[in-house]
Amino acid sequence: MKRCFLHAGVAAAAAALSIPALAADVLPGATVAERALNGAKEYIEKNGLENPKLTMLLSSLYRNSMPDFTREWTELTGVEIENVPLGYTDIPAKVMAEATAKTGVYDIFNDFPYSMPDAAGAGVVVPLDEYAARGQPDFSGTAPGISFQQYYQGKLYNMVLDGDHIILVLRDDLLENPAVKEEYRAKYGKDPGCPETMAEWEEMASWFHTKEGETRWGMTFDKPLYGAVAYRSINFSYRHFPAYLGGLMFDADMNPTINTANGIRAIKQFASIVQYMPPDVQGWGTPQIYPFWRTGNAFSAMSFPSIVGNANSAEDSVIKGKQRACAIPKVDVGGGEMVSRAPQAAGTGYMVNTYSAHPELAYWFIQWFTSESVGDRAIAHPKGFWDPFRESNLDNEGIIARFGRQFLDTTMANSKNAVSLLLIEGNYEYFNILDKHLASVMNGNITAEEAAALIEEGWNDVTEDIGRDYQIATWRSGVESGIYLDKFE
Amino acid sequence: MAEPGHPAVVDATAPARGRLPLGRRLSAWASQERVFRLIPFIAVEAVFILVIIIPFILTIYISLLRWRANRPFEQANFSGFLNYGRVLAKDEFWMALGRTFYFAGAAVILELLIGFVLAYLLHRHIRGRRLYITIFLAPMMVVPVVVGYNFSMIYVDSGPLNEILAPFLEPFGIDPRIRWLSNPFAAQWAIILADVWQWTSLTFLIFLSGFAALPQQLINAARVLGASPAQIFWRVQLPLLKPAIIIAVVIRSMEALKMFDPVVLLTFGGPGISTQTIAYYLWQEVWVFSKYSYGAAASILLLIFFSVFIFFGIWLLVRQRESVRRVDVDI
Repeated sequence: MKRCFLHAGVAAAAAALSIPALAADVLPGATVAERALNGAKEYIEKNGLENPKLTMLLSSLYRNSMPDFTREWTELTGVEIENVPLGYTDIPAKVMAEATAKTGVYDIFNDFPYSMPDAAGAGVVVPLDEYAARGQPDFSGTAPGISFQQYYQGKLYNMVLDGDHIILVLRDDLLENPAVKEEYRAKYGKDPGCPETMAEWEEMASWFHTKEGETRWGMTFDKPLYGAVAYRSINFSYRHFPAYLGGLMFDADMNPTINTANGIRAIKQFASIVQYMPPDVQGWGTPQIYPFWRTGNAFSAMSFPSIVGNANSAEDSVIKGKQRACAIPKVDVGGGEMVSRAPQAAGTGYMVNTYSAHPELAYWFIQWFTSESVGDRAIAHPKGFWDPFRESNLDNEGIIARFGRQFLDTTMANSKNAVSLLLIEGNYEYFNILDKHLASVMNGNITAEEAAALIEEGWNDVTEDIGRDYQIATWRSGVESGIYLDKFE
Repeated sequence: MAEPGHPAVVDATAPARGRLPLGRRLSAWASQERVFRLIPFIAVEAVFILVIIIPFILTIYISLLRWRANRPFEQANFSGFLNYGRVLAKDEFWMALGRTFYFAGAAVILELLIGFVLAYLLHRHIRGRRLYITIFLAPMMVVPVVVGYNFSMIYVDSGPLNEILAPFLEPFGIDPRIRWLSNPFAAQWAIILADVWQWTSLTFLIFLSGFAALPQQLINAARVLGASPAQIFWRVQLPLLKPAIIIAVVIRSMEALKMFDPVVLLTFGGPGISTQTIAYYLWQEVWVFSKYSYGAAASILLLIFFSVFIFFGIWLLVRQRESVRRVDVDI
């Protein structure tokens, strides 16, 4: 069984590139999108469908942008798609409820890749390899930490169109302020810029942190300038923590690596910078962090990359064109080895419901939508939240106009260090255990050492509950595929 | 067939009845006295079985399985009382339960006190009484999601609540920016206060009805006998309001023990697990972690625990009603 999964993992890595070779009955069409259209038309004709309709459970982030594309699909194929928007925190439960109810009410699920392990385990999503062999989607030009998130246990379940690997963004106007430069240079002997390490970022956060009413660099701050803002709340901390850990969360036998010198260092570093963040930050998610960043009351933000586009386009933003994107700073994982890891903290994809009446038709929409030609337009959509992630994005005029060249270059470079969050069954429970104890450390209720021990204990409980052998096999398969970049020692 | 010696009785309607449509025949059958009186009973029992008994039996059955929804149900296997043991051994379950009683206790006490005072002030005919009653009843009618959203705005670090408190806190050297939603202790009280704001209306309504139902002749008699307003309140009104108080306590306690909306809307159980109530804990275990059989076992255990309190409440109500009946008889 274990060997089977290991082979499956390696197969997953090869699958994306080998799809053309496997294809037996490849559909006509010069591009991925054309083949998808032809696939849909062929399916409709073969099954004699009249006015076919699909329903998509859609992350509500896309309620104002996805309809433009589903309308276009309807015009091209005659297939109507009804979008059912729902908050992304509620979608996994809906998917799992469908595993039990088996209604087929939704044909397509739009959610994060992390919903895939539980959904695939429950059999509620269908493997797409058979359709992909005919449609030949193209996943080239995408970093492995993102592209292999589409696979689970060697099978293609999910097609991603969103590069949500986190990024650090600084206030360029402050960095370029001559008075700031002079004072900073006097203290640190260099100009302020993108920090190389997490420790340096915290140092910069501390230096820029300014109290209300204080006068610095010829400016009086009516409101405090916080040194940093980042995700530190339940349901968000786990998305950032891998950037601090800088390595695998488990060894080859699913023993947690958190209760080690590196794990404890990561917890301390994760919690320490909170002192330079707004006091409410532990209750903040995206609806709070994005607007706060736009007010200009923080020097730096570690966030989903769309924060840059958002602050450049929102009407109330006071920092339009005043942002500098940076790659995720490195951490010392021990022995002086410096590692940068940019967790793919969200990044939505599309899966097909096993109980759909037309799973193949649903697939053709997904292939069409996530293709380079259509997907790039989606990323450039002014009301969308899709983020750049593949090389073709670098040349797309709409994307350049929306995100800016400096950000694009940085996020593409950052994507080379993109790593998936934990892609195994029960991952939301593992994440929750981590978040709870990180919160306790940030609140000073327990020490980092105590938290590490408690997290280790909690994670082991989940592993045992699901089945250690099963988890080991899936975990190894994921590591081998390259989604976490790091390999077993 | 007619009996010998008797003329054959021909039922003239028989052929016609045979041709009646099914609906009318059914209607005629249901109209019979012996059938008709059973219909409400059968309907209620059928609904009861469908909505309560079957799901309850299913819940017990699922609680005895080893099953997470991330595996097909067909793969579930019988595990006896394993889930019950795991629930009882889980610190988080007990902490959530304890926290629920703490939240419910604090919220219900405040709601009772504030509701009682408001009802006492408004039970007499004062100017603008109707307007005040309308205002005080409004929070109860607001959708909990709206309440949660409003309070999340009120509790923001630089929000209106801290702005109001600042002049009172700053002279004592206290930081006026209370972290209502990220400080564990403050977050607990943020939830309690949101609940109090919304549900004091209900206790107010119950007490207002209680005051309205007080027999005026007893109060007048006490006044004629020279009782002071304080004596009338403590010796006459308050004892007579005991049934209303018990009803308010029982109803609000039962509801408060299920506290969920403000937790989800304000803190998501955080920071850490400091605001995790038992309802939230269960929701998370079942809907977020897909631990259906574990959740089922926890639900059954909670049903047992809460039943004790509910039966105690009902016992108090019954006892109170009997004592009131005895007083009536004595009078």
